[in-house]
Amino acid sequence: MALASFGAASVLLPVVALFVRAPWSRLGGALSGVGASTALRLSIEVSLAATAISVVVGVPLAWVLARGEFPGRNLLRAVVVLPIVLPPVVGGVGLLVALGRSGVVGRWLHDALGLQLTFTTAGAVVATTFVSMPLVVLATEAGLRGLDRRHERAAAAMGGSPWYVFRRVTLPMVAPQLAAGAVLTWARALGEFGATITFAGNLAGRTQTMPLAIYQARQVDPGGAIVLSLILVLVSVSVLVALGGRLTGPR
Amino acid sequence: MIPIRRGVILPFIAVLGVSCSSSSSTSPATTSTPLFVFAASSLTKAFTQIGQDFHTAHPNVTVTFDFGSSTDLASQIQSEGTADVFASASGTAMDTLQSAPGVTDRTSFATNRLVIITPPDNPAGIASIDDLAGSDVKLVLAAEGVPVGDYARQALKSAGILAQATANVVSNEDDDASVVAKVTAGDADAAIVYTSDVASSGSSVRSVAIPSAVNVVATYPIAVVTGSTHTDAATAFLDYVVEPAGQATLKDFGFGPAG
Repeated sequence: MALASFGAASVLLPVVALFVRAPWSRLGGALSGVGASTALRLSIEVSLAATAISVVVGVPLAWVLARGEFPGRNLLRAVVVLPIVLPPVVGGVGLLVALGRSGVVGRWLHDALGLQLTFTTAGAVVATTFVSMPLVVLATEAGLRGLDRRHERAAAAMGGSPWYVFRRVTLPMVAPQLAAGAVLTWARALGEFGATITFAGNLAGRTQTMPLAIYQARQVDPGGAIVLSLILVLVSVSVLVALGGRLTGPR
Repeated sequence: MIPIRRGVILPFIAVLGVSCSSSSSTSPATTSTPLFVFAASSLTKAFTQIGQDFHTAHPNVTVTFDFGSSTDLASQIQSEGTADVFASASGTAMDTLQSAPGVTDRTSFATNRLVIITPPDNPAGIASIDDLAGSDVKLVLAAEGVPVGDYARQALKSAGILAQATANVVSNEDDDASVVAKVTAGDADAAIVYTSDVASSGSSVRSVAIPSAVNVVATYPIAVVTGSTHTDAATAFLDYVVEPAGQATLKDFGFGPAG
């Protein structure tokens, strides 16, 4: 009980402090002064795009990790999970030397296709996806591993193609884990900072998501930084409360 | 509830007590004095060298640096007060600190000027400051509020191209070092940084001079922060920076002498 209250307090204290120190008397001015709506809209767009890509690419990856039988599978899993452990700035540096204008692949993208990811919203999405995708992969893989495979075998025995079985039997059965993983991915994406500022840069309306706006606001307007932080707290809490116990509790 | 609270708070106080007593019992003759120097990001290479030289001259002092945007560092020192010495890239950031918690021995120790840098192959063909207003130039500056960012905008304004050039900005970086990194990585076409950055970046960037008429001279102040628990070591470090040995190192890294 004592440890539980200490745990709760350690999370609550910084949030409460933000409320206490917020410049309530000049809230409107602080809001417009630091471009809150632009940054918030960009943050939502970038985090949703990153979540969508993570699900589209991450679910097949989770399937390969759960079902594939090939040498090096554990190594592949370690590599896929790596962004969770790495400091995001390392991810940003890695992306820069890989996909930057002079990067290993980025040089080719730029010369052949005229494509530059750095300093673009697409670049922010790439950086955010890199950091947040492992969460949906891990959750989905765990779901696939815990699955009772008799249903899949039965569907296959009745003549269902592998794709049909995956779509109509496997996917619905792992849907709860996939959904929980997607929510965690989105939450991580919303808070992404290090990889984005290192790889995509920091420009209002293009790459400056809420965390970057907060970081920059500290330089010129510490009160504004608190207001922006509170907005991010409110958005995150509303989504988590709306999802309620569905994330971890019984269904 | 009361026993629960006591159980939570008492160990916390005990921890605080231990950390207080340990920090107040420093500097017996045998142990090394820790000295915390907060310095502008543009001083990273020069001060790292000066720190090593200073340690050779004063083996009983261990210098630890915190490099970052001067504005950022000033507000950190104001709220946390962990710095012994502050070396700033702008008088404004030092003024902030001088008002609270206060500084002593404030003096100017170096100057810096602005220069345009481009990747070695200069993809946008930048030959003068006016070219920064051209179309499709990917320009990186430090954010407003960061000294080198403010100086750069001042120079662009003097050159009469502030609006066009800021429309070309693709990223507002948090400190001087991050601006340089965007150009050395080859992603930006141009950036405005300090001449000292070119001296320490070698051939990884190409520089384009900014004429004196529109250039800005940044004067760097240094001071001992009021509340420092190691004022003797702090003063010794400050003296070392303004004396010939420190000045020679600063010159090697592209800084000019203070007025």
